[in-house]
Amino acid sequence: MSSKSFLDKPFFGSPFFFFLTLEFFKERKKHIGVVVISLVILFLLSSVLFISSSIRYSIEQTLDKEPDFVVQKIQGGERVNAPAEWIDPLLEIYGINKVTARVYGRYFFKAKRDSFLIVGVDFMDEQSHKTLESIMDETDLKSFLSSDNMLVGEGVSIYLKEHFYPNHYSFLTPKGDFKKINIFKVLPKESNLIANDMIILPMDLAKEVLGMGEDEVTDIALNVPNDDEWDNVADKISAFYYDLRVVTKHDIKKAYENLYNYKGGVFLILFLIAIVTFVLILYQRYAMVYSSERRHIGLLRALGWSIRDVLKLKFFETIIIVIISFIVGVVLAYFYVFVLGAPLLKEIFLGGANMKNSLVLVPVLDFGVLSSIFLIYAVPFIAAVLIPVWKISVTDPKEAML
Amino acid sequence: MISIENLNRYFKSGDTSFHVLKDINLEVLEGECVVLRGVSGSGKTTLLSIMAGLDRPSSGKLLVDGESIAKLPDLHISAFRAKKIGIIFQHFNLLEHLSASENVMIPLIPSELNMTEVAQRVKRSLEIANISHKATRPAGRLSGGEKQRVAIARALVADPSVILCDEPTANLDRDNSLKFIDILKDLHNMGKTIIVATHDPLFDNLSFASRIVPMQDGSIVSKEQGVGSSE
Ligand SMILES: Nc1ncnc2c1ncn2[C@@H]1O[C@H](COP(=O)(O)OP(=O)(O)O)[C@@H](O)[C@H]1O
Ligand SMILES: [Mg+2]
Repeated sequence: MSSKSFLDKPFFGSPFFFFLTLEFFKERKKHIGVVVISLVILFLLSSVLFISSSIRYSIEQTLDKEPDFVVQKIQGGERVNAPAEWIDPLLEIYGINKVTARVYGRYFFKAKRDSFLIVGVDFMDEQSHKTLESIMDETDLKSFLSSDNMLVGEGVSIYLKEHFYPNHYSFLTPKGDFKKINIFKVLPKESNLIANDMIILPMDLAKEVLGMGEDEVTDIALNVPNDDEWDNVADKISAFYYDLRVVTKHDIKKAYENLYNYKGGVFLILFLIAIVTFVLILYQRYAMVYSSERRHIGLLRALGWSIRDVLKLKFFETIIIVIISFIVGVVLAYFYVFVLGAPLLKEIFLGGANMKNSLVLVPVLDFGVLSSIFLIYAVPFIAAVLIPVWKISVTDPKEAML
Repeated sequence: MISIENLNRYFKSGDTSFHVLKDINLEVLEGECVVLRGVSGSGKTTLLSIMAGLDRPSSGKLLVDGESIAKLPDLHISAFRAKKIGIIFQHFNLLEHLSASENVMIPLIPSELNMTEVAQRVKRSLEIANISHKATRPAGRLSGGEKQRVAIARALVADPSVILCDEPTANLDRDNSLKFIDILKDLHNMGKTIIVATHDPLFDNLSFASRIVPMQDGSIVSKEQGVGSSE
């Protein structure tokens, strides 16, 4: 209710902007439906893009810590355990460093449905993985090695607690023996993207639980500091044995990206469909269904407004709706993803992993992504409103008299 | 001021064509008050629309101040309407959610005036139309007579030389109709050219100089009568 009007209270601005705000606030009921649908679409769209860019960022960060090369033994096209002696000729190659034999594998529980990643670590040696390195630095090695102990990821810890093993677990080795191992420590949340379902054991213990021979390793990791040498070194290593395969960090990165791009792509297509539908509805509404719009425009024209004046008013009205929906939608999405941790949506993105993953989504604001959201949404929206308005405006406004 | 020669208007719907205005010839002088008098369906609204540049004639000539407005591009017709024509619609056509004064300012928005000048003009129009006391009331909550006066204020605000009224008393009781005619007299005394389309017999005996133009079936009936005198 306007108890005071512009007649006694001066408004500092042009009459046009005065009228624009009037139209907007006094007719907010007319706009509320459009704003709500816009908000929902923009919120979901930005949430998905926030999640995927955050995950991509985390993958990049994680991969940065991975070794450059992994050398595997191949049998029948599948990876099998490699002989530990393969490590010796690798040490001779010029231009590589940090050569480490790695021991890891999956350990299946009860019904053989749930599995954890067992990682064997030589605590005296350099670590192939930078995350492992920092975990080791924070562990009191003396007491850890004094008995059969393990470090477990958060997901493992939760799983074991649910199955009534809060302090230890007895592994069933492939030979049929039970091996009781104590939980020494739970790994920090920050390492969840790679360590959520991980169990870290001393090398010998890991080999025993995984049923590997003493002189076997899972694979061999190494770094090649000079990027230009990568192809060259890969060729050299491959030439050592005919059943040897070299996997580079690029290959792993590509595999990850394919997975998340696929999920993100499915969402994007859904959003495009949603936006197109929405725009068609808008177009309909302004083109035909909304006869009051027709009357409104006709009246303004009868009162001396030109087509340009009408378009200007509708353009600014639409821009305000677009900008408000965009800002509110994006801010809500940011809050939902990075403060609340994207409940529900995260499950869809990280689904397939067999354990509850409390991965922390690192806030990443990609302005390229934001501006493409804006364009994908704003351009068709503005067109869907202005084209019918323009069509109505150019016809003679004789309806105004009726 | 307004000069109409052999003007025709057809409406086509499908194969049939309605001949709504037939060979209209009409001359309205500056400061004159002309009453287009005829029953519903005789073509009065259509004729007013064409004079306002809201509709275009199918054939014939329409000159306003010597200019053929039907042939102008939109920007010029709009400028012409904004400067010269004030319209009082049959159904008032107010924006119900806006206040009286906000409705009255609408014709001035595309103008170059600043907010202070707009406020001054709106105030003056509201005074002339005798509705200043309801300036802040939403139009939707005004009575019929009050709405009519807001519509008058809006038609006056851009200081047009021509005022077109379509059935101005159709939605008013007798009391308010008489009040309207009083305001019309003021406008006439201000020198405005006034054209009223109506079927209301109240306009047959106005207390000020006016000319009655009877319309029937889309034609102007030959015999025109001059009524009243300038007091
Ligand atoms: N857009 C239109 N299409 C077809 N016929 C119309 C249209 N507008 C008006 N008419 C017809 O023209 C005639 C005159 O209408 P109008 O000018 O509104 O008369 P009045 O204002 O005198 O009642 C009526 O018969 C009406 O049905
Ligand atoms: Mg009529």
